[in-house]
Amino acid sequence: MSFVFYVFKKDFHSELRNRYSINSLLMFVMITISIVLFGIVSETSDSLVLSGVLWIVIFFSSMTGLSRSFVNEEEKGTTLFLQLNSKPLHVFLGKFLLNILLMLFINCVTILLYFFFVSDFQVKNFSIFFLTLFLGTFSISLSSTFIASIVAKANTKGALFPILSFPILIPIFISVISATKISVEGKSFSFASSDFQILISYILVIFSASILFFDFIWKE
Amino acid sequence: MYYFFTQNQIYIVATIVLICLIGIFLYLFNLDKKISKLEKK
Amino acid sequence: MKHIFLKLVIAIFSLITVSFALLIPIVTSPKTFFEFPIIPTLEEKARNIFFHVPMAWISVIAFFTSVFYSIKYLIKKDEVDDIKSSSAANLGFIFCVLATITGAIWARFNWGEFWNWDPRQTSIFILLLIYGAYFVLRSAIDEDEKRAKISAVYSIISGLTVPFFVFVMPRIMTGLHPGSLGDASGKGPLFEAKAMATNMRIIFYLSVLSFTMIYFWILNLKARVEVLYMKNFENKN
Repeated sequence: MSFVFYVFKKDFHSELRNRYSINSLLMFVMITISIVLFGIVSETSDSLVLSGVLWIVIFFSSMTGLSRSFVNEEEKGTTLFLQLNSKPLHVFLGKFLLNILLMLFINCVTILLYFFFVSDFQVKNFSIFFLTLFLGTFSISLSSTFIASIVAKANTKGALFPILSFPILIPIFISVISATKISVEGKSFSFASSDFQILISYILVIFSASILFFDFIWKE
Repeated sequence: MYYFFTQNQIYIVATIVLICLIGIFLYLFNLDKKISKLEKK
Repeated sequence: MKHIFLKLVIAIFSLITVSFALLIPIVTSPKTFFEFPIIPTLEEKARNIFFHVPMAWISVIAFFTSVFYSIKYLIKKDEVDDIKSSSAANLGFIFCVLATITGAIWARFNWGEFWNWDPRQTSIFILLLIYGAYFVLRSAIDEDEKRAKISAVYSIISGLTVPFFVFVMPRIMTGLHPGSLGDASGKGPLFEAKAMATNMRIIFYLSVLSFTMIYFWILNLKARVEVLYMKNFENKN
């Protein structure tokens, strides 16, 4: 367990030193939200539509920053050092922890900005909304950590990360958007329970699969 | 065109069967091309 | 040619099934086995079930064969399994496109639009995306062994998400396909619902079976060609 924190701390410090991921993520959130604002300027928009748009903002910001975690190691040539010194599982969990922290922070900023600038977006049931946000963040960072490890091994990285992530993230997006819509409509918790069931089972399945198959990718 | 198809629905079925066959045959042609390439080597 | 008897059986079997599917008349009150009952709003278009559904079925089956050979590759590290996995994906992509096109045409005449974002249409679209991503990933890696390993892992991971939208989503979202939420006739897909008579169901299953056998036959051809291709290429170097 201490190795997990070792990997996490190492990445956290290198992130603090150059702040590349966090800055690019913040900039991207700003850019996407301003594009949304240009699109809906001086028009009253439906809260239901805006709840979908919120997840578009989150998707695109996560696509820019999260792929760095493994690509960085590959570019600096530090992969071999990590491979020799720690178990694959610890590496994966450490990176996953950092990505979750990053995504939670970014999503809090996104939500604050979104509530502040997009005044038409009004949430009526906050418990559903925040649970959705947490589960969504958790599952997006889980899948994208794994996809990032795949992308790091490819010769031509380019746009590979969003292409590979999108089909895998679709079940999350469908259920997360429908749960957000329920929270906007102000319905009771039981309406969103099937969405939460999908999200939780998705997280369980992908988490166990990533632990099982990460060895194959990491040792390649 | 649309009206014709709604009146003669069996033609819709015919179109769908034809599309399936065309798809499978295109795939087989591709495979055939690959085999010919192998034979030339 | 190996197993010539089996291949003859497949050919004759599917010919008979397809001719039954096309030729059995649709009447208002069926009396014998060789008369289909009329389904309101579907009428003659009901025959599409025998061709469109097998295409969608094969695109899912092909995906799972690809996943199966991927797992086998990761266990045994045999190149042939990787070739089989990629051939299955290749063939599945074709059937996926066919299912999408035939479904769109059918939807135009039954539901009014080529594309309605019905849950099942959404899931076939996602399946297309997965196949596309798989091919992009394969083309992005140069070394053979690395490509085989990583694409195997990707196909397994995406295979794990397939049940979520092929089976779960259509039952949760409201849709136009029979069996989805908001449909009164039944909870399962059409062939489980009362809408389909026994003889139709039998022909339907036979047609799915015959198309599946044709799929495995073509897959076998494709994999053999690819194996030959690989061996030829190795000898040249």
